[in-house]
Amino acid sequence: MNVLDIRNLTIEIDSDNGPIRLVDGLSLQIAEGEIHTLVGESGSGKSLLAKAILGFINPRWRVTADRLWWRHYDLLALTAEQRRSITGRDMAMIFQNPSSYLDPNSSIGEQLQECIPTDDLKGFYFRRRAELKTRAERLLHRVGIKDHDTVMRAYPFELSDGVAQKVSIAMAIAHNPKLLIADEPTNAMEPQTRGQIYRLLSKLNASQGMSVLMITQDLSAIMPESKRISMVYCGQLMEVGTPQQLLEQPLHPYTEAMRSMSLTNHQTAAKTRLPTLTGSIPTMANLPIGCRLGPRCQYARRACIETPRLRKQKQHQFACHYPLIEVNNYD
Amino acid sequence: MIRYSLRRLILLLTTLWLLTVLMFVLHQLFPGDTLTNMSGIRFSDGAAYQLAQQRYAMSHSWFSQYGQFLQALLHGDWGQSLVTQRAVFTDIMPQLGATLELTVLTMSLSMLVGVPLGMYAAVQQRGPLDRLIMGVSLSAYSVPAFWLAQLALLLFAVKLGWAPISGQLNPLFNITPHSGSVLLDILLSDSPNRGAAFIDALQHLWLPVVVLTIIPLTLLIRITRNATLDVLQQNYIRAARSRGLSDRRIMVKHVMPNAMQVVVRQLGMQFSLLMSNIIIIETIFNWPGIGSSLIKSIYERDYPVMLGGLFTLAALILLVDVAVELYHAWRYPQVRKELYADR
Repeated sequence: MNVLDIRNLTIEIDSDNGPIRLVDGLSLQIAEGEIHTLVGESGSGKSLLAKAILGFINPRWRVTADRLWWRHYDLLALTAEQRRSITGRDMAMIFQNPSSYLDPNSSIGEQLQECIPTDDLKGFYFRRRAELKTRAERLLHRVGIKDHDTVMRAYPFELSDGVAQKVSIAMAIAHNPKLLIADEPTNAMEPQTRGQIYRLLSKLNASQGMSVLMITQDLSAIMPESKRISMVYCGQLMEVGTPQQLLEQPLHPYTEAMRSMSLTNHQTAAKTRLPTLTGSIPTMANLPIGCRLGPRCQYARRACIETPRLRKQKQHQFACHYPLIEVNNYD
Repeated sequence: MIRYSLRRLILLLTTLWLLTVLMFVLHQLFPGDTLTNMSGIRFSDGAAYQLAQQRYAMSHSWFSQYGQFLQALLHGDWGQSLVTQRAVFTDIMPQLGATLELTVLTMSLSMLVGVPLGMYAAVQQRGPLDRLIMGVSLSAYSVPAFWLAQLALLLFAVKLGWAPISGQLNPLFNITPHSGSVLLDILLSDSPNRGAAFIDALQHLWLPVVVLTIIPLTLLIRITRNATLDVLQQNYIRAARSRGLSDRRIMVKHVMPNAMQVVVRQLGMQFSLLMSNIIIIETIFNWPGIGSSLIKSIYERDYPVMLGGLFTLAALILLVDVAVELYHAWRYPQVRKELYADR
């Protein structure tokens, strides 16, 4: 059962030369309790997608979709206020640079307690406060912070990035969200902290059935528990499949390029060129028509000036006119 | 925080000390007899002059002269006025009270009105009300205070008669000044007409306070608006919104404290600006504060009064500035971090 169902989501902004499509017809389905990884280079619109799901929408963006459903709510049909209360209750997001998402002038304890739902607290003021404090401490323990007193008293600028990220995860999971969107949460972190945070997320996923949408740049750094991967390039969906499908037998040239770029352990002779995708990511103002990978794709042909339809073969979806392996029985 | 406070206090003391050195040098440089400038006692006073010569060690070196001068200053012996022959210090203290009364009321009024208006304008950014608030505040800021004061006097005092033309209190009320602040004096007095006197004092007060408020108010509106706009774009506000917190809670708990951090920092500067305006306004409204006595002493070449007034005003500005800085560092912890590193 899909908890999140997005079909053909498009985000446009106006510019001097007409509208620019930052996100072009993205579709994304996340099943209950699934860890889904969204891979794309910077500027590919993956963070925009996350913000569109949460409704962090800049008034200058035009967001349209055939379908943007969260469980049984049609998010596009709701008012901003209703939408915020639903997404605030069911979803949470953690961010790339965690300390900028913490209020610099209030202590971690205050901010953490603010995130904890207080509906089921009983008793008088003092008892409720004590209970709230214990819950905040327990949350910090859950994300692997042992020294809760120091951290609760600290202000955001006093924390290291790793601890700040753990605190923001604690804030995100305080109300037991059904979906956690993690936007490159370990970008600026050393591998050890990254491992800790990944383990933490997968533990939460396993114990609470929380779905996770993991956004990352690097195909080699995906969480091992992730069930499916979506490859995004310049706001277009390239390929969706299980990690096995994508890493062993990709159908899309983009996935193939990303895979060969990230396989760091394969043997190459000295002085050989490292595999890269030729060219560079187009700027927002000069997006190619049709398949946006076209100008950089070594397999591109005339047909690529048409945007390819998303085709599907056994849960393996791809958007390419000339897949790497000729696929016949797709629908 | 203790180290920081100590550093600030030492800086304050050093600056005050430099101020006394400057005063001493000015006494030497002003035209006329140095001793007369310092003590307000003329050569023609005979025996008193002889006494003052000994008191200020005039026959000794400049260093001993400065030492004696500093001692007198610290003991509250600021000389006597050349015009009225009254002791400068005992005259200045009630004047300080009167000036402080205006200042405190003005600052409170401009904070109470300016901060909410600025925040409201920021929330309504580019809306008609924002444009109205910003337009009015810009035009009010462009009007010189002395001109505005006279227009206000003409309109409200002369034409409409809503306020008396000048002074602190109708002389019919027999209130003995203690602190100089007229409202405080009335509350402390045991006059049977306290209520009526209080109302009369308020009638005298409101016009100068309103005129004085204009400049800090317009600046505060603009500072608050910009600070709020800046905070509203911060990631932590967006994150708080995504957590489903209510707008009111976000405004009160997250936007306001962070915007106030910027506003509070500006208050010290606002205060020195206010002080230079207060001198003009007090003169126009004939308010018996330090400002008007300073202007008067300049006209009358009354050097002891002039320097006493200058010293008091300068010390006041310094004190307020240091107090604001200390409060700022105490209330907003990450300021302290930026003092030593990270910038």
